Amino acid sequence: MAYLHLFWPEGGALPRMQALDIFHMDTGGCTGCGLELRAVSRALDAGNAAIRFVSTPRQAGLLLLTGSLSVEMAPVVELAWQAMPGSRLLAVVGDCAVDGGVFTPSYAVLGGVGGRAQASLSLPGCPPAPAMILEALIRWRTGQDKQPPAA
Amino acid sequence: MTLRGLVGAGRPAACAGRFELGADGWRMMVEALPRSTARLCGLWSDGMQVHALFHDGPGPFMASVAVPEGRYLALSPARPGAEAHERMLHDLWGIEAMGAVGTAPWLDQGQWGVTWPLRERAPPAPPPPEGVEFIDGAAMERAGGTMLGHGPAEGGFHAPLHLRLGLPGEGITQVRPRMGYAHRGLCARMRGNTLAGGARLAARIDAGATVAHQLAFARAVTAASGVDTSCPLAIFPAELERVATHLDSVAQMAELQADGRLANLAATLLEHVRQLGHAVYGHRLLFDVVPRRDAAAPAPEMMAALHEGCATLRRLFWRPRGLATQLLGRGVLSAGAARQWGIGGCVGRASGIEADLRAQDPAYAPGWLTPPPRSEGDMTARLSTRLHELGESVRILGNAGVMPEPPVPAQCVDGEGLGMAEGPAGPVWHWLRVEDGRIAAWWCGDPSLAQIQALPAILHGAVYEDVEPILTSLGLSAAGADL
Ligand code: SF4
Repeated sequence: MAYLHLFWPEGGALPRMQALDIFHMDTGGCTGCGLELRAVSRALDAGNAAIRFVSTPRQAGLLLLTGSLSVEMAPVVELAWQAMPGSRLLAVVGDCAVDGGVFTPSYAVLGGVGGRAQASLSLPGCPPAPAMILEALIRWRTGQDKQPPAA
Repeated sequence: MTLRGLVGAGRPAACAGRFELGADGWRMMVEALPRSTARLCGLWSDGMQVHALFHDGPGPFMASVAVPEGRYLALSPARPGAEAHERMLHDLWGIEAMGAVGTAPWLDQGQWGVTWPLRERAPPAPPPPEGVEFIDGAAMERAGGTMLGHGPAEGGFHAPLHLRLGLPGEGITQVRPRMGYAHRGLCARMRGNTLAGGARLAARIDAGATVAHQLAFARAVTAASGVDTSCPLAIFPAELERVATHLDSVAQMAELQADGRLANLAATLLEHVRQLGHAVYGHRLLFDVVPRRDAAAPAPEMMAALHEGCATLRRLFWRPRGLATQLLGRGVLSAGAARQWGIGGCVGRASGIEADLRAQDPAYAPGWLTPPPRSEGDMTARLSTRLHELGESVRILGNAGVMPEPPVPAQCVDGEGLGMAEGPAGPVWHWLRVEDGRIAAWWCGDPSLAQIQALPAILHGAVYEDVEPILTSLGLSAAGADL
């Protein structure tokens, strides 16, 4: 069993990444952020990563919103948030979700969730590139393990 | 008299191809609709008039009628595809279609906080509509069937819409769409905006067809300023977008049907195309590329790889027991239904409809565009049409220059114009009126609206599991339909 010394702990501890189930919702944007998130999702699937996109909020730990939060979508977002089990987190991706982007002010949009709720992860860009989204997700996921997640 | 003749008898308006009709002229036009083959492409208002846009062999033409009392004669009894337009017109302006097929709200589900938001002066606040009431037919109740919902939040990456599906047995017999989730009030945002601001907004209507929207908007602006638009226009970004959107559809479809090899290759090629977009125009999704001068030339080896990849995609698609065989005969859109709802674009072509705005564009050399391999209107036909157009577009990319259209003239003369472009899903229209250098009125037509109206016909008899693949094969986007 000598080869087990291969993993003898020397040097600093590396951050460990925990599994993360993400539920994505387009709340009324141009779907550009969604297109890039689809690329992220494909990359995660291909790499068998611990982060994945799921198809129901009942399974998710992170609600990821894109789009400028149309008035019609606001109650749907609320329902999805209420359906999430246990401690849950919110992420906003794209200018629209951060502050409404080009679509505000308007009678039909509330102007992004970023300005209305405390998001754990907020990534501007129109749209942010998949590499940026992926990096932000991983950096945030590995960095935030030390703090207890907000309820 | 033909429809074109009847409309042309009206008073020529500020916009080329638009004619103002009196109430009688409009009525005669409506009566002539059942005999005409011209496609209805849009119906909208600027508050003073209601405009209808038609397209036939020689090109587009528009008819307008004044609506001083807020009423006009409906087109939907003769053209079912007009129904959603008429309902939207009522939601946004409070203008009523007399004798319309449907009168329920289309966009306004009673949440906006304003009624008829596009009216200059708010009316003595009528109560907002209650939203769509779903009534299940007697047949559904007798059968004791299931009602299932689809959307607006499925964890997917497309724009939100809701479908209420009735399944008395295994197959779907009832489809009720509920729209408005993706409505961002773009018409109100456009009004009073500068042309540059308008172009930025037009690029963000629907990311899957952003170049088509940018082109159509730029062409409308050029037409409004009275400049000749017949000069050959650079087509590189439009074809690049078509390649990307078709690749995305193929990849999604292969993922849904668990065809790993096809999905992998399509997704890899898509990523190459996105990177190509970034290398050439500085934006992966080709936002804001139309009035722009700096564009790099694409690397030749990248184009060669794309060409080869597309051939492999086709081979994988048609291989024995491949996707082509699996999707055969599912989700059929018949040629009759496509004609009835006014569906053009690649979905229409897969049903045997000849409709491609590019055919009239002098920038496309004769012989570049060829008919698709299948015209049965099922999912196989739609996917094979996409794969066929994919190869075609890659070939065109090899021949086309990189430079986008000549930039929009900076100091635009006031006027009114119509612009069009063939997007990946179908024809995209922009109409606008410029006053004092700002947008005074604007309308946009997107192919998704006709597809959503045709969903009951397409989904009829399908099993619930086929809903997602069928929507994917259509490539419809609620963002374009709702604006
Ligand atoms: S941030 Fe930009 S890309 Fe993302 S949804 Fe909004 S307009 Fe589209």
